[in-house]
Amino acid sequence: MFETIVQAVINGLLIGGIYALVSIGVTLIFGVVKIVNFAQGEFVMLGMYLSFYLATRFGLDPILSLVVTMPVLFVVGVVIQHVLIRRVLGPNDMPQIFLTFALSLLLLNLALMLFTANYRTVHTSYSDTAFHLGGLYIPVAKLIAFIVAMGLSSALWLFLHTTDLGRAMRAASQNRDVAILMGINPNRVFAVAFGAALALAGAAGSLLMPFYSAYPFVGQVFVLMAFVAVVLGTLGNVIGALVASLMMGVAESLGIQFVGADSGLIVVFAMLLLTLAFKPNGLGGRRLRS
Amino acid sequence: MSGIRTILLAALAVVMLALPQFVTNSFALDILIRILLFSFVGIAWNLMGGYAKQLSLGHAAYFGLGAYTSTLMQIDFDISPWIGMVAGGVVAALASLPIGWLCFRLRGPYFTIATIATAQALMLIFLKFRDFAWGAEGTTIPNLGSSPLMLQFEGKAAYYYVALGLLVIGLLVTFLIERSFIGYYLVAIGEDEDAAEAIGVNAPRIKRDIYMISAFLTALAGTFYVQYIYFIDPATAFNFNISIEAALVSIVGGIGTLWGPVIGTVLLETTSALLQSWLGSSTGGVQLTVYSLILMAVILWRPTGLMGVLHEILERYRKRYPGATAKAAP
Repeated sequence: MFETIVQAVINGLLIGGIYALVSIGVTLIFGVVKIVNFAQGEFVMLGMYLSFYLATRFGLDPILSLVVTMPVLFVVGVVIQHVLIRRVLGPNDMPQIFLTFALSLLLLNLALMLFTANYRTVHTSYSDTAFHLGGLYIPVAKLIAFIVAMGLSSALWLFLHTTDLGRAMRAASQNRDVAILMGINPNRVFAVAFGAALALAGAAGSLLMPFYSAYPFVGQVFVLMAFVAVVLGTLGNVIGALVASLMMGVAESLGIQFVGADSGLIVVFAMLLLTLAFKPNGLGGRRLRS
Repeated sequence: MSGIRTILLAALAVVMLALPQFVTNSFALDILIRILLFSFVGIAWNLMGGYAKQLSLGHAAYFGLGAYTSTLMQIDFDISPWIGMVAGGVVAALASLPIGWLCFRLRGPYFTIATIATAQALMLIFLKFRDFAWGAEGTTIPNLGSSPLMLQFEGKAAYYYVALGLLVIGLLVTFLIERSFIGYYLVAIGEDEDAAEAIGVNAPRIKRDIYMISAFLTALAGTFYVQYIYFIDPATAFNFNISIEAALVSIVGGIGTLWGPVIGTVLLETTSALLQSWLGSSTGGVQLTVYSLILMAVILWRPTGLMGVLHEILERYRKRYPGATAKAAP
């Protein structure tokens, strides 16, 4: 029994690392650009398909394909910020919500037309291998994904706290108007934030590919999880999003272990509803409004 | 209301009433019924999403509750769906209380996400508990032939008139609310909730009330829809696309306007029907791709929607011929 629980917690933490990459992207965009990117999950999906084609056409290892997916999605993010998002920044919620929502619908349905609804998988040499620690079972692909995800999250944290551009981004997220008065170029900061968030989504896609199937709707699984984690971790807070994502992963995994294999989504919704009912401002408790 | 407006409205009423006499093609009638029905759902969404700017993407919850309430009453207790329709509305309005209590804790985009999540959670409940409401397989609704008292008719024309009736109810409710003090409160909340509260608008209460009305109306459409297609399952009744369409038709047509959802539905449903006849039924993804492109275009270039475009044209005309339409000013 105890071993089962530990195993479920480990499984949850491992997948939670991927959730963290998506959540940190959502919370970064929310913190800096002040919009919620409803299309974040679709960029995970694009990252997965990109990795899939790099693996099947060029034989590139899905995890190594990070070096392609991350820069490509960074550029996509900068372009989207410049061409689309920049035009709807303002006090009005409606255009922001429905522009990114339309983007999500567009990418999802284009993927459905281009890639069909079939599930795509990549089989790597390490897809089926696992460590055995006592009675515990640790799949290598998930462990690598978790370690790389934590590394990227730390790199982002360091970037935000030690570089000038990172400090400018944090300043812009705390008070945009004052930051602009201090000489920070908001367009540059917003573009980098959007690009970085999409690069993380792309990384999540590549890391998932050795053990997860790509299909047009795959992003929805991750984005829902990310939205809940971002509320739970207090909107706009990177560390909060990371911790909450790991918690969500564990909660989901315990749910699957003890309630039933298809109870993952129910756990997510239960977490969201409980959060809304008791901690609507996140576990940090600071009052934040969008 | 000016003379021109009354005449236009009367002409529109005559055309709408006479239409099934001329359109007998069942495909065309089906499109007309869909237009009427989704205009009505859009109107229900628009009351809350358009006027008070509480942008829900979870109205499928109430559509589904309405559909399930009337179907359960009909199959288990042999109660007419006409009664079931109203009962479904009441169930939906009551359900909107706890759902609203949770979702209204968040504002802006996170309110939207919370509404998506609650609607999906409701669908999961209906999928999971199969002995309660047929689970994922759903059920067909018994076909009683021509039985107007049970909301079942031989031809499509009768369904057309029922849908038209719903639309008229929706327009009337919106018209009355728009002109009452509640309408002004809603717009104030939509503009700036904190400022509205500061001048004494009881925002939580107004939002709760309008959510109940919106949920009630949406549920009526749910009952009608499953009676029309003679089938119910969670994926149909709680389909996320219903939530999307409700919001989309309002935004494309003109958010927060009386006729916006109607104009938006005419455009989107006609586009969808044309795509279907060009590409055949294998349009997986095409319809929503086109919808999302239209939505993006509207948001980027005409945030006031088609109503805004009409308004501009009218303004230009009025400037060119001062006096000619002065009395028709809306």
